[in-house]
Amino acid sequence: MGNRFGVSSKTLMIAAAVLLLPTFVPAQTKTSVTAKAETKAASAKSTEKKTWALPRTPDGQPDLQGYWTSLSFTPMERPAKYGNREFLTDEEAAEIHKEGIQHSYEFTFNDLAETPVYDATVYALSAWQEGVAPNKRTSLVVDPPDGKIPPLTPEAAKVKDAARRHGPNQDYADPNAPVKADVAEDLNLGERCLSFGGPPILPGAYNSNFFIVQGAGYVMVEYEWNNETRIIPLDGHPALSQGIHRWHGDSRGHWEGNTLVVETSNFRPGATFQGANPKTLKITEYFTRTDQNTIEYKFTIDDPSTWTKPWSAIVPLSHMDGPIFEYACSENNNDAVNILAGARATERTAAEKAKNISQK
Amino acid sequence: MTKAALLSLLLFSCAPVAVQAQTSSQQTPARGATTAAAAAKTPTPGEFPPYKRPHTPDGKPDFNGIWQSFVTADIDIQDHDAQAGPHPDIMGAYGAWPGGQGIVEGGEIPYKPEALAKKKANAEKRMVVNITSDDRRHDTGDPELKCYRPGLPRANYLPFPFQIIQGKDNIMMVYEFEHTLRTIFMKENDKEAPKDPPADSWMGWSHGHFEGDTLVIDTTGFVPYTWFDRAGDFHSDALHVVERYTLVSPYHIMYEATIEDPNVYTRPWKVSFPLYRRMEKNAQLVDFDCVEFVEKMLYGPYYKNPGK
Repeated sequence: MGNRFGVSSKTLMIAAAVLLLPTFVPAQTKTSVTAKAETKAASAKSTEKKTWALPRTPDGQPDLQGYWTSLSFTPMERPAKYGNREFLTDEEAAEIHKEGIQHSYEFTFNDLAETPVYDATVYALSAWQEGVAPNKRTSLVVDPPDGKIPPLTPEAAKVKDAARRHGPNQDYADPNAPVKADVAEDLNLGERCLSFGGPPILPGAYNSNFFIVQGAGYVMVEYEWNNETRIIPLDGHPALSQGIHRWHGDSRGHWEGNTLVVETSNFRPGATFQGANPKTLKITEYFTRTDQNTIEYKFTIDDPSTWTKPWSAIVPLSHMDGPIFEYACSENNNDAVNILAGARATERTAAEKAKNISQK
Repeated sequence: MTKAALLSLLLFSCAPVAVQAQTSSQQTPARGATTAAAAAKTPTPGEFPPYKRPHTPDGKPDFNGIWQSFVTADIDIQDHDAQAGPHPDIMGAYGAWPGGQGIVEGGEIPYKPEALAKKKANAEKRMVVNITSDDRRHDTGDPELKCYRPGLPRANYLPFPFQIIQGKDNIMMVYEFEHTLRTIFMKENDKEAPKDPPADSWMGWSHGHFEGDTLVIDTTGFVPYTWFDRAGDFHSDALHVVERYTLVSPYHIMYEATIEDPNVYTRPWKVSFPLYRRMEKNAQLVDFDCVEFVEKMLYGPYYKNPGK
């Protein structure tokens, strides 16, 4: 997809196979990147000590405006080694943060394509460039208390299993799985520049950046991915009927104290979080600004036809430097052309091979 | 003096007092009646009676709302007759395009001669779509047909609404058409929004400020691929658009855009039209992600069974 960087995760995976870089570059910058991460952590600490007043918009609402990133090194579900521990020690958190920064840094330099559409070392793509604050939680999932997403309902498990076995072109876990690309509809929604998902806001591999602007009676949340934008009315706007479905659902918000609470429904079939049921899925999000550089973002997923009980996660949103650029995706969607053309080329090669064999 | 004369004298002398008393007692309703009479006057197109503009708590004219134009400029920004659309054999009146008066001040776009030839060629090839994995994909075909971001000022006269979310430091314009988005940087010396465009884009790089109650937006940094209409009117990457938004009634913004591009025109030129506030009680933007409606047209030649 012709995004800000002109590549998709698929392209990145291909690019990952092409290692080429003067070794002096990582060696040179290794020190500075670690130093940068440490400075960031230290400055976050010193900010905490100062008295901080919640900023407000001219009309008195808590001010959530600005550029934020949801990038995180914290796993969605709690790794077994932590048992029932909800929080890391300061030392563990610092170590994980340092490793995460280093890993993302090495990823950037190791995964450069031979003819890059963009220079990943310059354009902020990875966590080491975007500014991620250390997180003391052992998992993003906070409820249930074991830090694990509750089991699927038997019906949802059946559907998911069928999708896994028959769903073409979605299984990135198996690089040898054949890519079905007969028509554009065989590609995934991201490759088609139709949707990169959300809500909820989650940490992705990169580009997990957001811009929040508040106007009278509305909060706008822009996702960097495809400039997908949610306009959240706060004015008691009537809910949409079930006759209208939206790529990112339809949201209504209100303030509970200093927390913005947003409820979302009216999802589009085929475009729901983790394949949830668009008819029964309800997502509630809680945005609370906890300091100058942090929004505590919590979401609750409630879909009784998909999960056996509701569950919640907390994803810290860290302040990042703006701006967020235009993300013209479909306008330059080279992925769609290349994946389809590639599939046709593969078919031609296979047909020629078959012909040669039959002629022998 | 007769009784009658006395009576009439009394009446006369009393008369002014009586009249005055009557006037005074009717003053409020009379004034109300005058206002009602003015409001009842059929509005004259292009004339907006003075009104008190709403302001945001920080004292700026308040443009928050959902807006839409009602001109036919998306078909042709100049005067044009109604015409059959593509495939009238199956599309009938569904596909026909309405006629309308243009929005160009003075009527003519001051094209350089060679640019006028390109406009004509664009119009002839507005439905010639040839999608490659490089910039040649932009050589022919109306970007609207391909569901590309519409650029400026076309975004404001596509037949779709857009919403203004007015923050203190940034004004957002969110368009229903392909969820097109514009950020208008309003803060002076904003370190996150350099003055010069860091990269070219479809919707350009916009800085805004207020001149009195008028929102003035200066936009440069455009890709050279957007068109102004289906008639092939175009620009280069030297396009510079200065827009002026002025609230002229509770329900209208008067919109003006000055278009400058020395590569294509002999002088700057101007378009203007009103934007109307969407007044449905439940007005809101919904999705028009036309990407899914154009895939077969764009990528069909690469399908396993093209044409099916």
